[in-house]
Amino acid sequence: MTQDIGKKRGILTDRRRLLFGLGAAGGAMAAGLGAARADDRTAGQVTDAPVSDRTQQRQPFYGRHQAGIVTPRPEHGMIASFDVLATSPAEVKRLFKTLTDRIAFLMQGGTPPALDPGLPPADSGILGPVIPPDNLTITVSLGSSFFEQRDWLADHKPLRLVRMTRFPNDALEAARCHGDLSLQISSNSQDTNIHALRDILKNLPDLMVLRWKQEGSVPALPAKPDGTRESARNFLGFRDGSANPDGGNAPLMDRIVWIQEGGREPGWAAGGTYQAVRIIRNFVERWDRTPLGEQERIIGRMKATGAPFDGRTEDDVPDYAADPAGMVTPLDAHIRLANPRVAETQANLMLRRPFNYSNGVTKSGQLEQGLLFIAYQADLEKGFIAVQTRLSGEPLEEYIKPIGGGYFFTLPGPVDKADFLGRTLLEAAGQAVSGLKP
Amino acid sequence: MTQPTAHIPNGLPSQGRMRLAVAGAAILAIAGLAAFYYASRKVQPIAAASGLLVTINDETCVPGELTVPAGRNTFRIVNATNRAVEWEIIDGVMVLEERENILPGFTQTVTAKLPAGEFEITCGLLNHPRGKLHVTPSAESAADAARPALIAFVGPLAEYQVYLALQGNALLRAVQALDAAIQAGDLAQARALYADTRRPYKLIEPMAESFADLDHAIAPVADYLEQREADPAFTGFHRLEYGLFAKNSTDGLAPVSTKLVADVTALKERLRNLKLSPERMNSGGARLIAALAETRIPAGEEHYAQTDLAEFEANLAGVTRMMRLMQPVTSKAAPAIVAEIEAKTVSVEAALAAMKGPDGYPPYGEVSAESRRGLSQKMQTLAGAIGKLNAAVGLE
Amino acid sequence: MHFRRYFSLSAFALAAAAGSGLALAAVSPLDLVKPVADYKIYVSEKLETLLTDTKAFTSAVKAGDVAKAKALFAPTRMSYEAIEPIAELFSDLDASIDSRADDHEKAEKDPGFTGFHRIEFQLFSENSTEGMAPFADKLLADVTELNKRITDLTLPPEKVVGGAAALMEEVAATKISGEEDRYSHTDLWDFKANFDGSKKIFDLVRPLIESGDGAFVTKVAGNFTTVDTTLAKYKSGSGYELYDKLSEDDRKVLAAAVNTLAEDLSTLRGKLGLN
Repeated sequence: MTQDIGKKRGILTDRRRLLFGLGAAGGAMAAGLGAARADDRTAGQVTDAPVSDRTQQRQPFYGRHQAGIVTPRPEHGMIASFDVLATSPAEVKRLFKTLTDRIAFLMQGGTPPALDPGLPPADSGILGPVIPPDNLTITVSLGSSFFEQRDWLADHKPLRLVRMTRFPNDALEAARCHGDLSLQISSNSQDTNIHALRDILKNLPDLMVLRWKQEGSVPALPAKPDGTRESARNFLGFRDGSANPDGGNAPLMDRIVWIQEGGREPGWAAGGTYQAVRIIRNFVERWDRTPLGEQERIIGRMKATGAPFDGRTEDDVPDYAADPAGMVTPLDAHIRLANPRVAETQANLMLRRPFNYSNGVTKSGQLEQGLLFIAYQADLEKGFIAVQTRLSGEPLEEYIKPIGGGYFFTLPGPVDKADFLGRTLLEAAGQAVSGLKP
Repeated sequence: MTQPTAHIPNGLPSQGRMRLAVAGAAILAIAGLAAFYYASRKVQPIAAASGLLVTINDETCVPGELTVPAGRNTFRIVNATNRAVEWEIIDGVMVLEERENILPGFTQTVTAKLPAGEFEITCGLLNHPRGKLHVTPSAESAADAARPALIAFVGPLAEYQVYLALQGNALLRAVQALDAAIQAGDLAQARALYADTRRPYKLIEPMAESFADLDHAIAPVADYLEQREADPAFTGFHRLEYGLFAKNSTDGLAPVSTKLVADVTALKERLRNLKLSPERMNSGGARLIAALAETRIPAGEEHYAQTDLAEFEANLAGVTRMMRLMQPVTSKAAPAIVAEIEAKTVSVEAALAAMKGPDGYPPYGEVSAESRRGLSQKMQTLAGAIGKLNAAVGLE
Repeated sequence: MHFRRYFSLSAFALAAAAGSGLALAAVSPLDLVKPVADYKIYVSEKLETLLTDTKAFTSAVKAGDVAKAKALFAPTRMSYEAIEPIAELFSDLDASIDSRADDHEKAEKDPGFTGFHRIEFQLFSENSTEGMAPFADKLLADVTELNKRITDLTLPPEKVVGGAAALMEEVAATKISGEEDRYSHTDLWDFKANFDGSKKIFDLVRPLIESGDGAFVTKVAGNFTTVDTTLAKYKSGSGYELYDKLSEDDRKVLAAAVNTLAEDLSTLRGKLGLN
């Protein structure tokens, strides 16, 4: 099992290489056009838009699972959490169908309808008149309150879905916690994410209101000549995601991430997954004043390479069995507590998809930045909650402070154009879905 | 060895019994050692013996000046005088190593791990001129300097230094209270307070006895002084004890007590600045426990107050404190020996507890030679276990 | 703050044994024994004062004497703040003694919000001691337990030396904003205690680094003086003015001194071979 994870990336890598290959050709064309521009716009003007060769990257929207989960993480991500005002089945259906329509359009890209200039435009226009897909995914998930506050849905709540409770090191800010519905929006650029959010807000003002949002990003790395990939670094300067299970390994994802039919979860939930979101502030000034050796002991990896202490590369699997006393990797090192790599903890695996965030300055004049942690798992209790419980009290806690987040259930995907997000839930709730007016 | 009994006043039944017991024990000890002495004379010609030979004559040591490389050195000390002597290696005022109670005509082996530097050695009685010991740097001392694990001992040693400070304070307070009673001529009160001064002293004795000047002023035993109780160097605790319990009077004790307060005040300050090392903790503990087993338990030390058992208990508690503080480090390096020390400690504690009556410990004179032998044997095995610790954790 | 758990200490003590090539050549590990021992004594004395002061403070709270309790609040905290790097080694006690409303999801209303700041809230925001008796009892019990646990604790040397910087980090991260004592605005008392606690550690190891790195010692001592001088402007009676009296200019001076001290003192462990 651990070996599988260690040798992840095969499928992933191939898929990405394909996408990047296409993108490069497009980029070359774009650059050529730029050079041939009119005299008054020579290349290299200060305010010229930076050139991207990836705006036409497109992720599929339809499928048994929503996009944005096993999809390789692009550079920019956002979690937006909403309070939902839709209460009746009809309103909820309209909410789901409208979300489905908007997301389908935004992920595909295209031209928004032209309206009378006397009216506000249909689209914010921040991406121009033709909206590029730009690798966008939008993933819809529901909080426990969504079910609890609607009697007709209360019996259909996923088994493990609960309101996030405080862990000992948390200092949760009510204004950055929970929500009835979350959107995970990710793409190649922050502007694409913001565009998508503004589009959805504009189209659903009566059914949901924004509660909080957190944006984040991960740094792009140059391609390596041998085609291997590395995990991105977090704001502590360590590689984050080294031991993540392989999102391209479908049987593995079925086991770790996706709700299967015939289990204890309600039938409508099959194909969905649990989403755990945490906004984890990092005390970066203090971290930067911590000896390198201690940083590495706290994390359990070499900072430069990401390798475990008994390995050479970040994909090497630490041999804890040979180190029962923690002489090589301390017993309370972050990676060892998070994944002790013993048979009993295999059930605690989850798929992480985090972003780094940076929000400005605290009241004390320090940087407010850290990790927008996002993880997906088929069993929230055995996944994130068990792992975080095991991490409680880790030495890393001196340098981090979870301040927000929530638990959500990610809906199964819409299988085709006739389908919509949340259909299986509404059907399970006994509503004559087709008979309801949108 | 038989002299102490001569100073015990007649009249009290327990003291009478004690005199007999001590005399008996002393005779046994002498017989045993004498047998060893003759045996060693036969099979170990001096020239062939391992270790550096030092002969203590009436006034001087031969040789009076020694040069050895840093590291472990073994000295064979021959007592050619007609008095029991102590032999010490002294660094300024600090005792680095010592061997108590070398009987006339006997040879004792002393092994010491010495850092490079200039030291003195005592030659016979404490007021005799001292010899010189030059320790030259060696590969072993250089390797020691680079030993990395030393830092793991910093926490335990600091904690022990705090303990020394706390007990040093308690000792000073107790000595001051005793002094007040003596200055007031309150015999009953002074006798009652005497034992209170002894417990804190005994708790920190492994370190307190490392300052030669203060040790010789605070705790000389008449047995090692030329004129015994009449010797002007007979000062400190035992001089007070002698007055309070043997003479039943505070007469002449006021200046002794004043001096003791001053010496204990100085001791407290020295302890605060004492440079501790794990080797010193282990060897100090082993040495004290061995001294208990070999000398103090058989013969007793509190000849007049008879409170030896309580003092053994305090000594043991002080050494146990050192051992347990270092356990988080030592038990990783030498789990078997640490477990052995712990087991032997428990066994000595139990033996002492068994000697306790409803009113506490009996006067030491009432303790039979057989009981003493039993206690001494247990103490000896504990000393042996502690003695193995330094080597086992890589400190030798 | 109360991040670190007790159980991590052993691992760090062992890891520290690996040593560091950075340490000043003249410093032998055993040179650290005395500073660490002296610091333990300093901590013990502060804990004794804390216990005495907490008894008086909680008695006033339980007696319903709002004025007296308010007056005792800030001076009582100082003994805790001075030894915070050690006090917070026990995260359960640190949470129940010194957590702030924002450590709890329901802020002031959260049942987990206890200790000094819970009582501070009641005293200074509600101007009452109503309902505080159980919190007062718990605070005294926690402080008593803290005293007991630290008495039995072998201080990890890297925690002691690292504490000098840790105290500055505390100030830099959460105190310079005035959010620590947000109801009483007695933050300058806490500042003073944090600085004193940090300077104490620096002074204890100073003889070990003075000869090897005199420039460093001079610089750090200079910044401590800047802090002292700045804080002295706000002395009032036996304590300090309220935090809102701190001028914007002085706040910046303090912030810069704190950050510089945090940067410089963060190298102290390395200089002493306690990586």
